[in-house]
Amino acid sequence: MQQEMNQSAVDTLTQRYSGEWDAMSQLDQASGVVQWMATNDLMPVVLVVSLTIWFVLLFYLVRMEGKLSRLEKKMETRTEETE
Amino acid sequence: MNAWKFFVAVWMTLVLAVGFMIRIPDIPILEETARNLFLHVPMWFTMMIAFTLSFWYSIRYLNDEQSEWDRRAETATQVGLLFGLCGLLTGSLWARFTWGSWWTFAEPRMNLAALAMLVFVAYFILRTAFNDPVKRARISAVYNIFGVTTLPFLLYIIPRSMPSLHPGAEGNPAFSEMTAPELRIIFYPAVIGFIGLSFWIMNVANRYKRLDAQLEQQEIED
Repeated sequence: MQQEMNQSAVDTLTQRYSGEWDAMSQLDQASGVVQWMATNDLMPVVLVVSLTIWFVLLFYLVRMEGKLSRLEKKMETRTEETE
Repeated sequence: MNAWKFFVAVWMTLVLAVGFMIRIPDIPILEETARNLFLHVPMWFTMMIAFTLSFWYSIRYLNDEQSEWDRRAETATQVGLLFGLCGLLTGSLWARFTWGSWWTFAEPRMNLAALAMLVFVAYFILRTAFNDPVKRARISAVYNIFGVTTLPFLLYIIPRSMPSLHPGAEGNPAFSEMTAPELRIIFYPAVIGFIGLSFWIMNVANRYKRLDAQLEQQEIED
């Protein structure tokens, strides 16, 4: 029972969905990048995707910093005026 | 922008870049997923730091009832919950490719970690229940102290005494025995990087909340 619960319906780990991939037939004519993408050496792709997510997050944080500093300055002058 | 934020930005970029580029030893079952160590474990460390901070701020609030402590406690809990959820997500992903299942109810650490997150979701639900800010701050501080106290039990003591596939449980090799030295070179800097990042996020959130409170104060005075 426990075993059954832990097994997923489709085994995507040990077998591919399909052994045939249309683009594979003319792979030898494809560009270097495409040939490389068809290999299993894809850690650089993971790196690029991770870095993209990280840079977007970083961009958002830095923008937030700028906006907050501007508002803080505005608040400071406003407080000084009222005093 | 302070210098330490630049440092965090560069540091984290380097950790990610080197973490995915270095050659790692071929550990059976883990294989390339061993790199998840740089993400999954620091998430939980950072979460613990954030919740410990919120615990401290909640105590400070009960001591002198400054609204600043309440704001900081709320922010630290938000960031802690964020990193905890990221820890659950990276853990679930890791489970899929090492244990063969996204989620299993036979795994105590997984389920108790999810339960611990629910304790802090309840904290935010509790906060919405009060209109009076003083009452809200006081009751949520008391709740938060209770909530953080459950963490060591839910995340360390109970899972360690139960049968589990998770490293560090009874009968399984702990982190120190199974981690290759190459992984440690990235792991420790990743811990520092993620903690730095959480401090940055907390800093931004606290400044926003402080401005919001100041604005509200001025509106009352006008």
